[in-house]
Amino acid sequence: MLSHLIRRVTRRARPAHLGWAVAALLMFASTSVQAIPAYARQTGSACADCHAGSYGPQLTPYGMRFKLNGYTDTDGKGFKIPVSGQLTETHTNPATGKSTTDLTEGDLYLAGRLTDQIGGFVKVEADRTGKNTYNTRLSNVDLRFVAKELKLGGKDLTLGVSVNNSPGFQDPIAALPNASFISPIGVTGTFLSQAAPNGPTNRVIGATMYALYDKNWYGEVGTYRSLPTSTQDHLGYNIASDPGTLHDTGYFRFAYMKDMKKQFFSAGVVALTTHRSLPRSGPSDDLTDLGYDLTYQYLGNREHILQLSYVNILEQRKYGADLFGPGGVAAPDRGDVHDQTLTATYTFHQTYSLSVSHLISSGNHDEVRYPPFGDPNATSNIVTLFWAPFGKDDSYTTIANLKLAATWYRITRFNGRNDNIFGAPPGVRPTNAGDLNAFSLSASLAF
Amino acid sequence: MLSPFPPASRSEAHRGRWLHGVAVAGLIVGWLAASPAVRAGDASAGADVFKSECAECHAVKEGRNKKGPSLFGIVGRQSGSIADYNYSDALKQAQWTWTQDKLHWYLSQPAKTANPGTKMKYDGLTDAKQLDDLLSYLSSVH
Repeated sequence: MLSHLIRRVTRRARPAHLGWAVAALLMFASTSVQAIPAYARQTGSACADCHAGSYGPQLTPYGMRFKLNGYTDTDGKGFKIPVSGQLTETHTNPATGKSTTDLTEGDLYLAGRLTDQIGGFVKVEADRTGKNTYNTRLSNVDLRFVAKELKLGGKDLTLGVSVNNSPGFQDPIAALPNASFISPIGVTGTFLSQAAPNGPTNRVIGATMYALYDKNWYGEVGTYRSLPTSTQDHLGYNIASDPGTLHDTGYFRFAYMKDMKKQFFSAGVVALTTHRSLPRSGPSDDLTDLGYDLTYQYLGNREHILQLSYVNILEQRKYGADLFGPGGVAAPDRGDVHDQTLTATYTFHQTYSLSVSHLISSGNHDEVRYPPFGDPNATSNIVTLFWAPFGKDDSYTTIANLKLAATWYRITRFNGRNDNIFGAPPGVRPTNAGDLNAFSLSASLAF
Repeated sequence: MLSPFPPASRSEAHRGRWLHGVAVAGLIVGWLAASPAVRAGDASAGADVFKSECAECHAVKEGRNKKGPSLFGIVGRQSGSIADYNYSDALKQAQWTWTQDKLHWYLSQPAKTANPGTKMKYDGLTDAKQLDDLLSYLSSVH
């Protein structure tokens, strides 16, 4: 979605608006899903037990287990209303264009347990689209059935089924793009990225089966199909970003994770393969995503927490349609796209966090698909400093929270260039990658 | 070299401190002999052990139950005795008192081994010093 909107911006908007658009979209990404107070009420736990910075989205190993257990863990004190809300006010200051201050997002969460084996997470999101206008859409969905405390060969075994609408969102380690909400921006992106143009995020429905064996070995397999365009429209999505028809889609995940209480690490691989027809009546493209991810957490006594993650996803494409550019130049019938994300987050006292991400989107040279230079490469950084005063055991409240965040968005390369990234002809003011930079201040209240 | 004591006074001071040390040591030995359940851990270090090993499921604030019951005043408490916490049947039937020795025994092995049927999911703390530190900390929470 990010990429799609950026592409729309690059085609239609004046350069002065580019930074605003990118910033708004990145900000949307960075505030997408946070700690859910309904879960805190259900479990008696503090936000900080599941999220290092008390507001998320980075999960602690305990938060991962809560997700793996289907959001069903409880303090045993009966039924709790599984509803939460979040409001976000944002001041955006782009490198070019006007600064704005708006109530940018309102969220409703249906999140919690139905029974000891069934639980879920559903987010309905209203995003500001203009003066006093908001678009309401069904955001992330993850409904689970889980069988806990099984034994296999004398070892613990957890089995579960997840019905969800974003491949990777359901992942317990939460490093994959649809779970971390961090994806490289650019004119292209892998199918596992939430920034992919016409990507599957929130526009598909799928089911995966997962297993956690001996607390350390995680495996998952599943399939997805895209929602009909009419359903996407009803759910609040512009059908121009339809992911197309998906056939023979497979999602595979395997990871080793080790919780040592004071430290945690994981190493995993992920794959997604599909035949995608876009437009739906058109020929089919073969897409295969192959990725790996590495994470490490130093938790210690929770005073100083360091979280590192690296995600590397390669997408191999075989295009089904012949495509010709100006002058009859034929586009290659194959291509690779590559997303890389490196994120480091330091959290002090479970309250103050500094997060730095380095994002790279790259791909093969393709004059036809990636005008004007044929180079899709983009590099960017996101730096976020935030304060979440509540949500700890000793806080004024453990079941509601506030987050004040300052975020810098820095784009150093777009369309493979630093300068004149859209190839403006002589006499026309060029747009440089730095013109897309932005700074924002946001206040989020979760309750 | 400057000294706060003249030679004679320094000698008396040494003797006084030695006697004081003997008396304190005697008291400690006697106290330990009389109270074999007391363990010599570092409560401050135990607070850190608590944060990394226990705090996700237990709070030390009185009346604050998480997935596990509050551990406020746990040392000396009857098992399964917090009225508004939903204990497992296994722990309700255990009918034991959480002395330091009992806690040491319980926490040094998987919870489901110590109390089959318990809801508690804990593999046990095998580091003897950390366990002593933790028990010292829990003793201080009341």
